[in-house]
Amino acid sequence: MEFKLEAHRIVSISLGKIYNSRIQRGGIKLHKNLLVSLVLRSARQVYLSDPCPGLYLAGHPGAPAPPQQPEESAAGPPAGWGEPPPPAGRAAWPEPEPQPERPAVPEGPRAGDAEPAATVTAAGDTLQGGEAAAPEAAWRRVEGPRETAVGGAGGPAEVAGVFPERPEAARGPCGCPPGDEDKLSAAPRVDGCRAPRPAAAEPPASPPVCARKRGAAGAGGGPADCPAPGSTPLKKPRRNSEEQPGGAAAAAEEEEEMETGNVANLISIFGSSFSGLLRKSPGGGREEAEGEESGPEAAEPGQICCDKPVLRDINPWSTAIVAF
Amino acid sequence: MVLQPGERHCGGWSHRRLGPWCSPTGSPAPLSCETGCGEGTWILVCRLLVPTQVSLLSMEEDIDTRKINNSFLRDHSYATEADIISTVEFNHTGELLATGDKGGRVVIFQREQESKNQVHRRGEYNVYSTFQSHEPEFDYLKSLEIEEKINKIRWLPQQNAAYFLLSTNDKTVKLWKVSERDKRPEGYNLKDEEGRLRDPATITTLRVPVLRPMDLMVEATPRRVFANAHTYHINSISVNSDYETYMSADDLRINLWNFEITNQSFNIVDIKPANMEELTEVITAAEFHPHHCNTFVYSSSKGTIRLCDMRASALCDRHTKFFEEPEDPSNRSFFSEIISSISDVKFSHSGRYIMTRDYLTVKVWDLNMENRPIETYQVHDYLRSKLCSLYENDCIFDKFECVWNGSDSVIMTGSYNNFFRMFDRNTKRDVTLEASRENSKPRAILKPRKVCVGGKRRKDEISVDSLDFSKKILHTAWHPSENIIAVAATNNLYIFQDKVN
Repeated sequence: MEFKLEAHRIVSISLGKIYNSRIQRGGIKLHKNLLVSLVLRSARQVYLSDPCPGLYLAGHPGAPAPPQQPEESAAGPPAGWGEPPPPAGRAAWPEPEPQPERPAVPEGPRAGDAEPAATVTAAGDTLQGGEAAAPEAAWRRVEGPRETAVGGAGGPAEVAGVFPERPEAARGPCGCPPGDEDKLSAAPRVDGCRAPRPAAAEPPASPPVCARKRGAAGAGGGPADCPAPGSTPLKKPRRNSEEQPGGAAAAAEEEEEMETGNVANLISIFGSSFSGLLRKSPGGGREEAEGEESGPEAAEPGQICCDKPVLRDINPWSTAIVAF
Repeated sequence: MVLQPGERHCGGWSHRRLGPWCSPTGSPAPLSCETGCGEGTWILVCRLLVPTQVSLLSMEEDIDTRKINNSFLRDHSYATEADIISTVEFNHTGELLATGDKGGRVVIFQREQESKNQVHRRGEYNVYSTFQSHEPEFDYLKSLEIEEKINKIRWLPQQNAAYFLLSTNDKTVKLWKVSERDKRPEGYNLKDEEGRLRDPATITTLRVPVLRPMDLMVEATPRRVFANAHTYHINSISVNSDYETYMSADDLRINLWNFEITNQSFNIVDIKPANMEELTEVITAAEFHPHHCNTFVYSSSKGTIRLCDMRASALCDRHTKFFEEPEDPSNRSFFSEIISSISDVKFSHSGRYIMTRDYLTVKVWDLNMENRPIETYQVHDYLRSKLCSLYENDCIFDKFECVWNGSDSVIMTGSYNNFFRMFDRNTKRDVTLEASRENSKPRAILKPRKVCVGGKRRKDEISVDSLDFSKKILHTAWHPSENIIAVAATNNLYIFQDKVN
């Protein structure tokens, strides 16, 4: 069990690093992100192989459970992980659920940060204007590694969220909604998922980041607060109207663990990063991002899809988290 | 403490050395003293700060440079990020020492010439030239900022009065010419002494301009700029032994350049998979063989080294030799892959061995044996139990370099807490030394340090938990023929010398 805790913590930290790498000066470092994704994969394998996740939940100190829905939801998804099939909890995302939430995501971040908003818009425009297939393809690539690494490692909701959002082209059986929508949903989930996690393995940098993002998102105050359930509906309408490349969502999902509430920012970052993937000419930065996101993880199609039905049983909040 | 010529001092004991230490013009000698002198015999020659203020001070000849450096540096307990040294390299004679920093500057130090009056000053390095090699750039197409940090400097062998070096940041390699000017022409006909043009009608006589001495001026000019050839971040450059070509390596590709041609390079290694999702390893370092211009090696993030022969094919994706040590299953952890990633690879001067540095060890490989290294040295194995914390604070990604001494008998690499380690390959003895301000009295003898792993800590030992992981020595250099080493600690450059003079 200690391994599972450790694995969980490592996953959180790794996701945080991947998230922070995008804001590092000099562009995304391929080597470092490759190593981080390798660690993610190892931790995920350990997490998956641990036979008693349920015990983990019980024994999990569970950070000062903020008396918020997210917390309860947090309990939800972890339990889901424990239950057989283990991946089920993670992967089962009711499709309709994520969608309403998605619109909220872009709105939240946008409110708080003019810059991210601009970037998001720009990214969105760029992405949409560009090859139609590119975003989805990019996303697929992103999703792939995430899925294997994060999902396996037991990254809460985030991981789950990633899966359903994968574009159908990439994951037929999953029947996920179109890639662009997934990204949007990522943001709010991140916030929500974050709350339960802080206690477990929150990197020190997360709280400050979350605080800012939370404010923007208009969710509950403070990093530890999960967005109130009500916040999700607020975001719904916005999300629906948003169309973003899937890639961003995938990235966002990983960020979710790290309480990076500014999903729109993430979307723009990863979206713009991935837009270069489909270009023939070497898009160095993009490729790096892609490499970093998809990393060495081989896509494991089908693993998450089977989890979907299980997810439906979880309460809406945890579902949101998972979906994200 | 000031040594008189010929005087020797070793930790307060008198001892008899069986083997000669390196004399200033002689061949290097083994590191450790055969009589078993346990005290280190390395002394601090000078500690230099890279910022420009130091260069101004050093230019004044009649000031005690060491005194200035020490008193000046004492006030600077901070270090701006741009001053952090990112690479250190001696030139082929050891006369010049170049450092690059995060701010894109290159500072070249020159060894003080031996003079009868100040014998003890020999071995000191003073600033010779400072120039801005790279500036921050912005790639508008990819919305990426390109850091100006100098990743590597490599000297070219000297072929005329000027010095040439290659410096690179993440994307662009530049060839710089550093030359001295100590004469200037005087007596132009069409210009007066201030440079103003003279009216030709007023010229009644002609004279031949003559060269008159002037104050020595060292100027650096960029002679070539090799740009736009790398999609990923350049991590290595290496000059070929033919002195006509060099290679630059990024995460996935290695390009071969000719010094004269800047708009073309040949791609000789490409490990980029068709589908980036299948990426499993990246290139971390590359170097040409010191004598065979067709041979080079590159290391990977998976802990493997590949030796390639450029005669085999134009694209050297298929290696000639593959060096890999099987992993020890008992050491497996989440971070096994990270700590096995090789951060530096160096050929020995003889060309017979390669040395690799991964996070916890230094390994020496014989080119003729691919299945395992011939020597493995633990640099700081006490960190093995702390890998998770080091992962959290990103220290596990630190890229330490390693260097050979001139005779390939001693290898050196850095560690944390401003420690650096030397391993004598012949005697199998090793020493841990510290490059710190507290010990930086000029000519101070370095005391060997010891890290206490657990249990009882002895008086002079440091416990693992008190190590300062923000003070790391990533870059070191060893003089090509003498026992003089340069150690970069954040923004300080320490120069140590074996006490023989």
